[in-house]
Amino acid sequence: MTASVAVFPRSRSSRPQDRAGVPTYVVLGLVAVAFVAPFYYMLVAASRPMAEMNTFPPPLLPGPDLWKNVETAVQSQNIGLALGNSLVVSGIITASTALFCTLAGYAFAKMAFRGRDTLFAITLGTMMIPPSLSVVPLYTIMADLGLAGSLSSVVLPSLVAAFGVFFMRQYLSQSLPDELLEAARMDGATSLRTFWSIVLPIARPGMAVLGMLTFMTGWNDFFWPVITLNSTNPTVQVALNNLGSGYVPDTAVIMAGTLVGTLPVLVVFVLLGRQIVGGIIAGAVKG
Amino acid sequence: MTLQLDRPVPGERTPPGTGLTTRLSWRSRLHRFEGRSAPYVYIAPFFLVFVAFGLFPLVYTAWISLHRYKLGSSMTWIGLGNYTWLFTNGAFYNALWKTITIGVLSTVPQLLLALGLAHLLNYRLRGRTFLRVAMLMPYATSVAAATLVFALIFGRDAGVVNGLLGLVGVHPVDWRNGDWTAQIAISVIVIWRWTGYNALIYLAGMQSISSDLYEAAALDGANRWQQFRHVTLPGLRPTILFTIVVSTIGASQLFGEPLLFGGGQANGGPVGQYQTLGLFMYQQGWQFGQLGRAATVAWVTFLLIIGLVLLNTRLSKIRNRGES
Amino acid sequence: MPIPRKTSAAVAVAATLALALTACGSGASTPAASSGPVELKVSLFGTFGYDEVGLFKKYEAENPGVTITYESTQGEDKYWPALQTRLASGSGVADVQGIEVSRISDVTANQADKWTDLRDTPAKDSIGGYVSWKEPAATTKDGAVLGLGTDIGPTGICYRSDLLAKAGLPTDPAALSAQMPDWNAFLALGEKYKANAPAGSAWHDSAGGLYNAIISTQKEIYYDGSGKLVYGTNPAVKSAFDTAAGAAQKGLTAKLEQFVDPGWDQGFSSGSFATIACPSWMIGYIKGKAGTGGADKWNVTTLPGGVGGNWGGAYLAIPAVSQHKAEAAKLIAWLTAPEQQAAVFEKVGNFPSTTGAIAKVTGATDPYFNTAPIGKIFTASADASPVQILGPEDGVVKSALVQALLAVETSGTSPADAWTAAGTKISNQVG
Repeated sequence: MTASVAVFPRSRSSRPQDRAGVPTYVVLGLVAVAFVAPFYYMLVAASRPMAEMNTFPPPLLPGPDLWKNVETAVQSQNIGLALGNSLVVSGIITASTALFCTLAGYAFAKMAFRGRDTLFAITLGTMMIPPSLSVVPLYTIMADLGLAGSLSSVVLPSLVAAFGVFFMRQYLSQSLPDELLEAARMDGATSLRTFWSIVLPIARPGMAVLGMLTFMTGWNDFFWPVITLNSTNPTVQVALNNLGSGYVPDTAVIMAGTLVGTLPVLVVFVLLGRQIVGGIIAGAVKG
Repeated sequence: MTLQLDRPVPGERTPPGTGLTTRLSWRSRLHRFEGRSAPYVYIAPFFLVFVAFGLFPLVYTAWISLHRYKLGSSMTWIGLGNYTWLFTNGAFYNALWKTITIGVLSTVPQLLLALGLAHLLNYRLRGRTFLRVAMLMPYATSVAAATLVFALIFGRDAGVVNGLLGLVGVHPVDWRNGDWTAQIAISVIVIWRWTGYNALIYLAGMQSISSDLYEAAALDGANRWQQFRHVTLPGLRPTILFTIVVSTIGASQLFGEPLLFGGGQANGGPVGQYQTLGLFMYQQGWQFGQLGRAATVAWVTFLLIIGLVLLNTRLSKIRNRGES
Repeated sequence: MPIPRKTSAAVAVAATLALALTACGSGASTPAASSGPVELKVSLFGTFGYDEVGLFKKYEAENPGVTITYESTQGEDKYWPALQTRLASGSGVADVQGIEVSRISDVTANQADKWTDLRDTPAKDSIGGYVSWKEPAATTKDGAVLGLGTDIGPTGICYRSDLLAKAGLPTDPAALSAQMPDWNAFLALGEKYKANAPAGSAWHDSAGGLYNAIISTQKEIYYDGSGKLVYGTNPAVKSAFDTAAGAAQKGLTAKLEQFVDPGWDQGFSSGSFATIACPSWMIGYIKGKAGTGGADKWNVTTLPGGVGGNWGGAYLAIPAVSQHKAEAAKLIAWLTAPEQQAAVFEKVGNFPSTTGAIAKVTGATDPYFNTAPIGKIFTASADASPVQILGPEDGVVKSALVQALLAVETSGTSPADAWTAAGTKISNQVG
């Protein structure tokens, strides 16, 4: 980037002059309502018989059946196990994606090496493979490795993501000043040390965003887990897929199951929100 | 893009005066080796996984596309037969066109909206955490759940959208079976799910723009809009390029939303009015079990996207050059 | 980003690595356990009713040493591709798998090597005893029997008594049946209904459903006896298509796509339509969707003219890679035996496919449907049902025609154009 970038680019109050005015709150409030409304609709639909949702205007408050429908959903599928499995799968994928993609993204953004552009082009190319197509060869591989049906078969292909490499490369090429790296090199720091003590702290906000997105992608991944796993050892989405099994899928129960499957993600968000969303992105990098 | 490092030249990093006669210390030799190999070590984990679970399926897919291969049966070599079939099939061109129209309908408003939202969220706000979580709630919801809800909301007889339209005297719209109406409904789902996601990425990018630049701009008398145009937008260029590439790829593979909007049916409406390329491929492979044809659709899609991305980068390079 | 020469070399190396990686680690299968405790895996779709009736528990109790692991996928459209992927790789399949009737012809024609010939198993004694056409459909041309029948789909007409009464039409099943000697009479009743019906209520749910009901009464549909695709020249197909398209053009259908449009589900309680073609398994669907508020409103009668038809049904089969073929065969023979079939019908409404079980349920009535004699109606339909000729691409053709009818209903496409478009679609797909 340009030389005008400060060595320590950010401070906690990056733009103190920019306090939001009333119009900003109004616009953001409306958007937030639009974003949350379908979710709320889901909550209402999960708590009432379907027939009551078939009217206009639809009922505005949740009905009495929520708990009953949640119970039906949890009993008919192994939701408890599914939640645990999803947590493990998404957790591993998130940790490994954040670490490995930062490594690769840093190499592509700031290091010079032979074949870099070619390798980066290949990386981009991998994003363009339609995921549902690889399923047949992928299943064959997993079956040969004896992993079909295991959680490893879901974790392995997602340990890294081209998306993440691309994301971290763009992020670091923008926020990591060359001067810092140059200074570290002058000091005789090894490459690994440079990565650990200079790159990683600056990369952290980007990693947090990437980690969060990866966690949700892992949590909501659907097509491949449904093929490779079965309902005796499911992830949340696999369990939801089998929910309401029968000629008469009960929409209210499906909605209730979906709520149960989505809530943990939201809880993680709200709990860690201060750390992840609120704090780190807001520029609190203690560099 | 900001790749301005020198081309690597062998021995470039050798300190001046180190000839063959000078004995390198063990330490500095290790140091040099570490510096040279480091980038490869850093990208190795990604490429190992990629080779096993990305490249092999990709190559295998190309191989499958040259065969008649029905799920459950064995493969028969038919050369370019699947490609002939594809390029003479009206359904393919329909799917290509629908992919483009739904892609434009969903991506353009989504990115503009996300940029605006990110700008607003970048102000100092009360309830910031709540707002940011709210932005991401749609993304945290699975496609299946989101689409189920939206299919109800866009229902013909009792949907909320038609109900609201009815209040202003508009007759009920059959969103699902119309041409543009179905495409709009699907685009709304896509926009709903992905706007907050892109806003968060823009926000992360904005946070990494130095406040000095804003202060300098403010000293020059730039108002907020001018700051946005002359500081924020240029600073966000790598991020914007990133979201455009990712959204383009995402739009070209769009599949979950139209599939589930069609109730899990892959035909994309009675006359294929919302059958995207991704859905067309899925239909061939998983509804009709024609894996050879599905592989062909996938490869053609793959090549189309590569072409698009190359065009994209080429254009932005030309623009960069024009501006600098 | 130009991709230089070296890329191809890199790709080649990578591919080799990948191949080497996949080459190792195969052969993880476990040897067969011939005696001792056996765990049988059963993988089905939708509701076969076994779990609901408690049959797995009962079997475990009666056969010490056998444990059954059961899983079910909600939609057959998701179940089948997953099953095919696992079959192709030869691992991950259960010992007992369900097969929907529309897939059975593909199985017998193209996948005979992937399934167990039941003539070589303890299930061989159960192959007889079915309605005439059930087992021939699961038999390959070499005579191998790949599945045992579970249920069949004899078809009638379900209708809303309350809505018909409002329009001044007969509400008694027999009286209604008497007024519709054929499909034209059925549509003529529809015209009467339309003239006097409550606002927003159509005579029939969908043109596609009407088409399926009409065609379900035919012997030869998309294929002829020699296995040739003849839908384009079969007058029965064209006639059924035209009848359904005509009903759509006259505004007699609610234009709701079956199983897909949420409005269709809502219609069972809201009254968007007064009649619907009703295979026996639809009985359970209606109860679920119309809910308690729908009791006494719905009723059921025979197809026009009292003809027989069949729509749907399924089989149980054993993959060739199963390690417990004999035990699995005993289980499916027991599950499909008349006594169990009758129990399933009573609980979830899947109509039995063995003549022995049919005899047990002929007298059944359903209080939800105004105590309609469902046993009698569906037995008559099953008895009169022709031996349908099935073919591997039935699904492709049927779906194209049903979609064409939906286009007539919703986009105002002319029936002739829709028919031509469907033909192009089919020949692109099947040709």
